[in-house]
Amino acid sequence: MDNIEGNVTADTPPATPPTRPVVIAQTPARRGRGRQAGMWLARGALALCFLASFYLSVFPSGRATVRAFSILPGLLAAAQPAWEAPVTEPIIHTQRTLTSPTGTVYLDIYTPSTSVPPVPGAREGILLIPGVGDQRKDAQLINFSRTLAGSGLVVMDLTTQTLIDNRLGVSDKEAVVQAFEVLQHWPGVGTNRVGLLGFSAGGPLMCFAAADTRIRDQVAFVTLFGGYFDAMTLLQTIGRRALTENGQTQPWHPVPYPLQVLADTIAPLLPGNDGQTLASAFAPNGSESLDAAKIAQLAPSSAAAYHLLAGDEPTQVNANLAALSPEVRALLLSLSPSRVVDQIRAPIYLLHDRSDQFVPVSESLEFAADLARLHHSYDFAEFGIFQHVEVRANSGFSQLVGDGQSLLRLASEVMQAGS
Amino acid sequence: MSTSYLVLTWALLGVLAGALALAARLKPAAWTRRGWLWLLALGLGASLLGGLLGFWLLGRLFSTAASLWTAVLVLCLPRLAGTLRARGASRQ
Repeated sequence: MDNIEGNVTADTPPATPPTRPVVIAQTPARRGRGRQAGMWLARGALALCFLASFYLSVFPSGRATVRAFSILPGLLAAAQPAWEAPVTEPIIHTQRTLTSPTGTVYLDIYTPSTSVPPVPGAREGILLIPGVGDQRKDAQLINFSRTLAGSGLVVMDLTTQTLIDNRLGVSDKEAVVQAFEVLQHWPGVGTNRVGLLGFSAGGPLMCFAAADTRIRDQVAFVTLFGGYFDAMTLLQTIGRRALTENGQTQPWHPVPYPLQVLADTIAPLLPGNDGQTLASAFAPNGSESLDAAKIAQLAPSSAAAYHLLAGDEPTQVNANLAALSPEVRALLLSLSPSRVVDQIRAPIYLLHDRSDQFVPVSESLEFAADLARLHHSYDFAEFGIFQHVEVRANSGFSQLVGDGQSLLRLASEVMQAGS
Repeated sequence: MSTSYLVLTWALLGVLAGALALAARLKPAAWTRRGWLWLLALGLGASLLGGLLGFWLLGRLFSTAASLWTAVLVLCLPRLAGTLRARGASRQ
């Protein structure tokens, strides 16, 4: 190679036509310096490759980062990309039921079919409640569970008859504790590597379980996505049709579904036929508004609950909250994570869609503020790429990149338990 | 099928690491006869071995990273051994 270059320069006649390219002769010293630089560049690249790949495969924080990176495309695209197939674990899906004091508990378990790698010796387990309603056939939930399992985790999706019936019940905590213990003893899962993940109304149930003395010292983490912190402030925001974020009040209009869930949850505690009237008003085919004659037939406490849900008395919200029956107020208090937050030992991660129309983002902000006040380990991120807890179809590239970074940070923290 | 793609990735990384090692002049001076080919083959072999060990010890997800650092480590060894041998000889 050197000779060829040398010949070209030597053979160049002194009277070179102007159109011909001029070859500048490299002195041996300059060539030597260039080669030296190339050598050191190659050595630097090799050192970088070694350090990066060693960190990413040997150190727990590196492995957590790899896991977070591997699940990110599947989460953002709402389907696992085909190019990831070679690096993801093959998955087995099994279904089981448990019998809890409140009824049957339905479990969908997604687990890698390969044996547990000797390092770190045990898998991470995630117990997931996808919220109210029967979500077991939901494509995004299945994709989410499969994506997590593909990165080497055991994922257990849980639902109960109460949740399937679109209601919230604090007694479902028993089902969560039971399922947590089953997951802890699942083949390959480390007993101290099991975390809780609650979507929407599943979040509060996870908090109640994480505060339970039977398991609270064993829970690796609690993650809440689109959950509420206090059922009273949630009802207050719904009643006002406005939320307060960073001291500023702005209009907020909920979709009908959370109103239906709250009506169904409160209904059994209302006197006479009021519960049925309230539940049917907010049912999917209901009118969502009662005429004056029907409202007049309701007991004052039932009418207050109706006005709060319907949002037709936004200036009377505090009066209506005060008019609720003691039973309803006790129920709302019992359904609030705010009452148990100081009993939770595990770190808490909060995620919320900033324009969530199911549960206002102010709930997670309030949760984060309380955790900061308690000096509890937590992290909080707001997103624009989700619609409540599902991936929004029309997110822009810059938003995907921005929110992807926050999601990556939180996913890395969650993945630490099993790495 | 997906495992074949994984093995292919390890092999490709091994050859690339071998090429980088050539550029980094990690080929021992004693390897005169087709030394460059031996270095590439060493990268390939080390990468496949590292990938296999990584697959077994760390899991499928981390096998590619394991194959890469193993390849780089093994590619440095001949040069390191040569340097140490030369130092030992010069002391004597």
